[in-house]
Amino acid sequence: MPLRELPELFDDSVKARSLAYLYVAGATLAALTVALPHPERVNETALLLLALAALVIGAIFYLRADRTREWQLHAAVAVGTSLVALANHYVGPGLLYALLFSWTALYAFYFFDIRLALAHLALVGALYGVVLADQGQSVVHWVLAVGTPAVAGLAVSRLLESLRRQAAKAQARALALRESEQRTRLVLDSAPDGFLAIDEQGTVTAWNGAAERLFGWSGEEAVGRRLRDLVFTEAERPAHDERRQSLLDRPDPARIVSVEVELRRRDGSVFPAEASMSSVRTGDEIVISAFIRDLTERHRRREEREALLGEQAARAEAERIAEMLSGMQLLVDATLVHRSIGDMLSELVTRIRGVLQADAATIFLADEAQLQLSASSGGPPEEPPDPIPFGEGFAGRVALTREAMVSHDAATDLEDPSLAGLGVDSLIGIPLLAEGEVTGVLVVCAAAPRSFSGQDIGLLRLAADRVALAIDHARVYEREHRIAETLQRSLLPDRLPHLPGLAVAARYLPAASEAEVGGDWYDVMAIPGGRVAVVMGDVAGKGLEAASMVGRLRSALRAYALEGHDPATALDQLNRLAWTEEAASQMATLLYAIFDPADGVLRWVNAGHMPPLLVTEEAPRFLQGARSVPLGVLPFPGFEEVSSPVPPGGTVVLFTDGLVERAGTSIDAGLAALAGAVVGARVEPEALCDHLLRTLVPDAGAPDDVALLALRSVPMEDRFRDEFPAEPESLASMRGLLRRWLRHAGADDQQVAEIVTAAGEAATNAVEHAGAEGDTPFEITGRVAGSSVLLTVRDSGEWRAPRGEDRGRGLSLMRALMDSVEVEPGPRGTRVTLRRDLASVGSGGDQLG
Amino acid sequence: MVGLEIEERDEVVIARLTGELDIAEATFTGEAIAAAVSTARLGLVVDCSKLEFIDSSGIAMLFSLARRLASRRQSMRVAADPEGPVARVLEIVEFERAAPVVAEPEAAITDIQSPPA
Repeated sequence: MPLRELPELFDDSVKARSLAYLYVAGATLAALTVALPHPERVNETALLLLALAALVIGAIFYLRADRTREWQLHAAVAVGTSLVALANHYVGPGLLYALLFSWTALYAFYFFDIRLALAHLALVGALYGVVLADQGQSVVHWVLAVGTPAVAGLAVSRLLESLRRQAAKAQARALALRESEQRTRLVLDSAPDGFLAIDEQGTVTAWNGAAERLFGWSGEEAVGRRLRDLVFTEAERPAHDERRQSLLDRPDPARIVSVEVELRRRDGSVFPAEASMSSVRTGDEIVISAFIRDLTERHRRREEREALLGEQAARAEAERIAEMLSGMQLLVDATLVHRSIGDMLSELVTRIRGVLQADAATIFLADEAQLQLSASSGGPPEEPPDPIPFGEGFAGRVALTREAMVSHDAATDLEDPSLAGLGVDSLIGIPLLAEGEVTGVLVVCAAAPRSFSGQDIGLLRLAADRVALAIDHARVYEREHRIAETLQRSLLPDRLPHLPGLAVAARYLPAASEAEVGGDWYDVMAIPGGRVAVVMGDVAGKGLEAASMVGRLRSALRAYALEGHDPATALDQLNRLAWTEEAASQMATLLYAIFDPADGVLRWVNAGHMPPLLVTEEAPRFLQGARSVPLGVLPFPGFEEVSSPVPPGGTVVLFTDGLVERAGTSIDAGLAALAGAVVGARVEPEALCDHLLRTLVPDAGAPDDVALLALRSVPMEDRFRDEFPAEPESLASMRGLLRRWLRHAGADDQQVAEIVTAAGEAATNAVEHAGAEGDTPFEITGRVAGSSVLLTVRDSGEWRAPRGEDRGRGLSLMRALMDSVEVEPGPRGTRVTLRRDLASVGSGGDQLG
Repeated sequence: MVGLEIEERDEVVIARLTGELDIAEATFTGEAIAAAVSTARLGLVVDCSKLEFIDSSGIAMLFSLARRLASRRQSMRVAADPEGPVARVLEIVEFERAAPVVAEPEAAITDIQSPPA
């Protein structure tokens, strides 16, 4: 081991202090030399000055010993050597001082390494050489004075080095031991099991991390306390004392004692644990150490396993039955509603077959004392056989007797054509009874010889009850559903009326998942004055009840509309119907609007419904006004009518909430999506409706019913052409459209009135003289030529000369009101052309003729 | 679509027509008015001042009423706004030959109640 790495035996403060003592000792010696009798040649003053200097230096080193640097020590030794050399000079020759030199040098050997010590010795030797030469002393003195400390110093140095080596070894060992201890502690601390140790008195001396977690006591808390009080319950303490004594009596690290004990946690809870203990003698003490393992989990698992094993046998049978029952229940419950009977039965028989582990299962449904094979599983898929009368064959007998039957000799029992060819050996037949009536028969077959047990029959009977109930429910449901669907279909207009100057399209999209019909509806009616009434409504609830409510509302509203009621009055009356209908009023939201193409104004009332969307060339906007409560909520809701102009080319979109309501998003978001979807879309109602459904309804279908209606006020053009059914009711709308077009063409009020009157006469003629079929339409076209308007009314009928006293004024009127009237009868119809100059003042030139 | 309202005041039947009168309802309307005028009444005022449209069927209906009342020696007047479309048509067909056309319905009632001496 290199010297420089050996530990220092003395630190610098010790070296400084001992140097200080050496200085004081030197000073004292000088003082004593002066004080005691001495030879004459001694220079007293110089000696006292040297003593004073040594005393001062010694004092300084003593006082600041802790802050001494190494170079200061070297300087002090060198200065000290010089002082002694000077003292020798003033005292004169004498052995005493030579020895003093030696001690100074020895100090260096004690405290510095050997090269520095030799350097100091060289300095001593040089100075002493000067002093001796000065005093004329012999070289022997010099050799003695320098050699003695050199030899002694080397010896001391060797001795010190060996001491330091030993100290270094001891230190290394201590270090290694400490590391090893730390490692051990780490290992114990991180051990998965609790570790603890106690001394002979039972006081805890070690407590690892796992023990902390196990007991809830931290190491600091546990160490120093008695283990007996810490972790043992009252009941366990005597046993613990006994074990401890035995371990103390015979300390042997190889002997491990394992016990299962109940131990207590800090919170007082008790847990089962396995403790493995051993004792060892260290020095004159005995230490007992123990590993603790929590057995809670192991016990639980063992208990579970035991319980499982114990139950297994008993459960095997119970499970089989429970499975069968729950299988059937699950099936029947799931199929109670929303499926067609056919689908439900197929699933039932498949399931029953599986549950009973039978080879085939069949359900026959009864219809007027006959059985019809309705579903089978496992059998060959054959043509539906002829109905089996009650009493014939196996199934027929079951139906007739209404008793469950078992056959183990199918060869003779099997006259049943529907069961032929199954290779059946054993059969069970169970009647399906609903409210005392046989609704069908359930037959289960086994191909191999098998005795169906009483349990099987009981189980099947149980299933049959549920199946019968399910069939009954399904039949009722299917009937109701069919009625509701038919009703609803009949309530939606199958053809929208022809509305001159307007284009209208509507869509109805039933909900994707819902099997029941909803209460959404719409209606479009041409009402007097060439106006159109549009309705969009939503009756709360579903199914037959909702559909019939729609029927009532629709009929009533049609009547009110045709009577000419304004929207608010019509809805007030409708509310009276909804409100008084039943004690529990049925709620319905409704938007009722009337559009007059003549003035382009939409008037509407909104009973709690989605606001209509107005789509024009500007940004689409919802018509928010006129909102009040839904129908059937208040006896006198006080509906308010609001109107808004719909510019030519504008479209009003009416819809039910199904179009905009989506789970997870707000209605506002849905409305915003709708408003966004119309931007840039084609404005023709048919295209617009398709576009909106495509954009807004998820591919998987709408979650709720969607009704949608778009009404467009077709913009007027300089030429117009329209067709009308040849019936008197067409005339009002024809006039409405014509008024609109004439205003567009620039006619003033009087001109409009006169031209409409004339055209009305021509159209009346067309209606009166329509072709034999009566329903061939007449056509009216208009165009502007210069300052004149030209109208042509064409029909497919035969022009007849007016007859009778009061007839025939039509032609007179036309001639009086128009500038020219041309009637062109033809084999395929008549054409009447009317011309009126808008620039001329007053009426046309012709007078009555 | 025409609206008809019948009122009786001091032996005079007043028939108020509103909306538009065309071939779809002319016959029905005429019959309804005729039925309301019993032979015991002094006469009939057909108030067309609020009627927005009339065609030749409506005119024929008015002529027919006028004839029927005349045959029963009852008076008939037609009231129409002189500036309106109905008055214009009545003028063209010279309805004045069948029954007087006046501007004010009230004047027509008084006219019937106090026939010129």
